[in-house]
Amino acid sequence: MKPVIVTKGITKTYQPDTIPVHALRGVDLTIKEGEFVAIVGPSGSGKTTLLNIIGGLDRPSEGYIEVGGKDISALSDNALIDFRRDNIGFVFQAYNLIPVLTALENVEFVMLLQKLPKDQRHKRALELLHAVGLDDKISKRPIELSGGQQQRVAVARALASKPAFVLADEPTANLDSVSTGQLLDIMANLNREEQMTFVFSTHDQRVIDRAHRIITLEDGKIISDQLGHG
Amino acid sequence: MIFKVAWRNIWRSRTRSLVVISAVVLGIWAIIVITGFSIGMVRTYIHTAILNEWSHIQIHRSDYFVDKALEDTLPNGFAIYQNLKNEFPEELLSPRLLVQGMVSSPKAARGVTIKAIQPGPENATTELQDHLSQGQYLDVDSRNPMLIGEDLADKIQVSLNNRVVLTFQSYSGEITAASFRIVGLYKTKDSRYDSQHIFVRQEDIKKLLGGDGLHEIAIRVPDGTDFQPIMDRIVKEYPGLDVQSYKTLSPDLELYESTIGLTSTIMTIIVMLALIFGIINTMMMAVLERIKELGMLMAIGMNKQRVFFMILIETLLLGCIGAPIGMLVGYVTILLTSNTGLDLSAYSAGMREFGLSDIIYPWVPPTIYWQLAIAVVITALIGSLFPALRAIRLRPVEAIRTL
Ligand SMILES: Nc1ncnc2c1ncn2[C@@H]1O[C@H](COP(=O)(O)OP(=O)(O)OP(=O)(O)O)[C@@H](O)[C@H]1O
Ligand SMILES: [Mg+2]
Repeated sequence: MKPVIVTKGITKTYQPDTIPVHALRGVDLTIKEGEFVAIVGPSGSGKTTLLNIIGGLDRPSEGYIEVGGKDISALSDNALIDFRRDNIGFVFQAYNLIPVLTALENVEFVMLLQKLPKDQRHKRALELLHAVGLDDKISKRPIELSGGQQQRVAVARALASKPAFVLADEPTANLDSVSTGQLLDIMANLNREEQMTFVFSTHDQRVIDRAHRIITLEDGKIISDQLGHG
Repeated sequence: MIFKVAWRNIWRSRTRSLVVISAVVLGIWAIIVITGFSIGMVRTYIHTAILNEWSHIQIHRSDYFVDKALEDTLPNGFAIYQNLKNEFPEELLSPRLLVQGMVSSPKAARGVTIKAIQPGPENATTELQDHLSQGQYLDVDSRNPMLIGEDLADKIQVSLNNRVVLTFQSYSGEITAASFRIVGLYKTKDSRYDSQHIFVRQEDIKKLLGGDGLHEIAIRVPDGTDFQPIMDRIVKEYPGLDVQSYKTLSPDLELYESTIGLTSTIMTIIVMLALIFGIINTMMMAVLERIKELGMLMAIGMNKQRVFFMILIETLLLGCIGAPIGMLVGYVTILLTSNTGLDLSAYSAGMREFGLSDIIYPWVPPTIYWQLAIAVVITALIGSLFPALRAIRLRPVEAIRTL
């Protein structure tokens, strides 16, 4: 399988001028197509920082990062936005959706940014919402959906642009165990059936149990990288 | 879809948006009404001044205004008058003989301009008879009748049917005095004018002057006719004469006319300046409270141009929703008041001091609606700049980190 993410010697230091915080201290990582990876570790270990750098939301202080074979450190801010739009699907902990748009419109929005024609957008959005089991909620606004349903819309939205991989920073942090299970089922399904690569961080043992590969961070370093039970 | 998002975003804080929209409605309405009111006032003033005092065109001997002397009469004045009457049958002409003199009562005396007129033509031109507050017009069968302004009558303490003495120089240079009877008192919209002019008949005064002549021919064109072509013709036909329009005869009328266009511009600038701050404030709040959402949008691939555009559209919508409403309300206000006029007679004593009429017919130039539309769009565009720049300065990591 092709590698989709390659990092070499990534460090990240916040506030280098005053009280430096070394959030990452040299991370070497390769994630291949079709993997289902959990990034775990105690609070403050650098999970979010790592995901943001992989996702092109933040830049490393040092090191090399390649996404889908492309060195993204050379991209300008605006080019990076377009790169994210076309290559990376994001699921955040909260505030994933545009409150004034329906579930369907939210999923369509990314494809609109990609300038896809209306009928294609519509068709794909419907398919994706079907895949996450929300056929009956397509015209609901986020506020009318439960937290779990909102995260499922977010997953559908993340997949809409046909990204190389999906990044999810603690996607289940605000969910109850039933919703957590449903969301994981959907993600695992998409991973199995469409070979979609998922990289997610979590504190939740039940989520960790579903991962195929578990990368443990501590103090900004990878301390273990092992196969999971999922 | 960006329009849809922008439109719905406006209604997320309904009250806040409604405040801005109402401010725009109110502002636009105020511009239209105040402009309409002041233009109406100026136009009424100009109209009245032309009708009662200046007419559109006046013809004098070329050097008349040097010292306005008795002998500065129009050469062949009566022939010119006849010719003009034949040439312009639609226009209203009044031939006048003007004498500088003094009016004295047993109590007081004042310097005045004695306007010696022909009652029929004068009334047709200036509607003098309509302004009589007491007594009769000059077409009475009486010896030496005279009309005096109420304000002047008060000052020299005379009333209807009293006799006063007019003193002036005759053609031969002698001081002449004659007794005239006040047959009527008049009152125009301009008290300054009223206290400086008295009217007598040409036929009465020419005997006292020991000669005849005309100093002035006033020409008023009918309502709705442009005086300029007529004036141009007269200038061409009588190159040796002094032919002037009210604009040069009374420079303040010209000045007032030129302010008509300026009023709406100044009003618009003031109101738009006020609105711009409201718009910036509201949109700034809208951006700041949506930092996370905007960060998320930039994270998932909405680029800076699009974010900028979205905020711009939002501001434009917010600013422009109110504009047509304000214009409509303003238009209706002007429409309703322009027919009946606004009766300001309660304040008319004060207004008359400035030669202003008590009934104002508000009017706005139709172009004001375009001006306003453009002004609102420009205002909204400027107002959107700061919030939109603020929005694209966001860094998605930081915006999302605050989760
Ligand atoms: N913008 C920032 N400025 C300064 N320090 C930061 C900033 N962001 C993160 N940090 C620090 O970097 C370290 C790593 O933070 P990070 O958020 O990546 O940890 P995490 O593993 O995601 O933690 P959690 O499990 O609580 O989400 C922490 O010590 C944190 O305080
Ligand atoms: Mg984190």
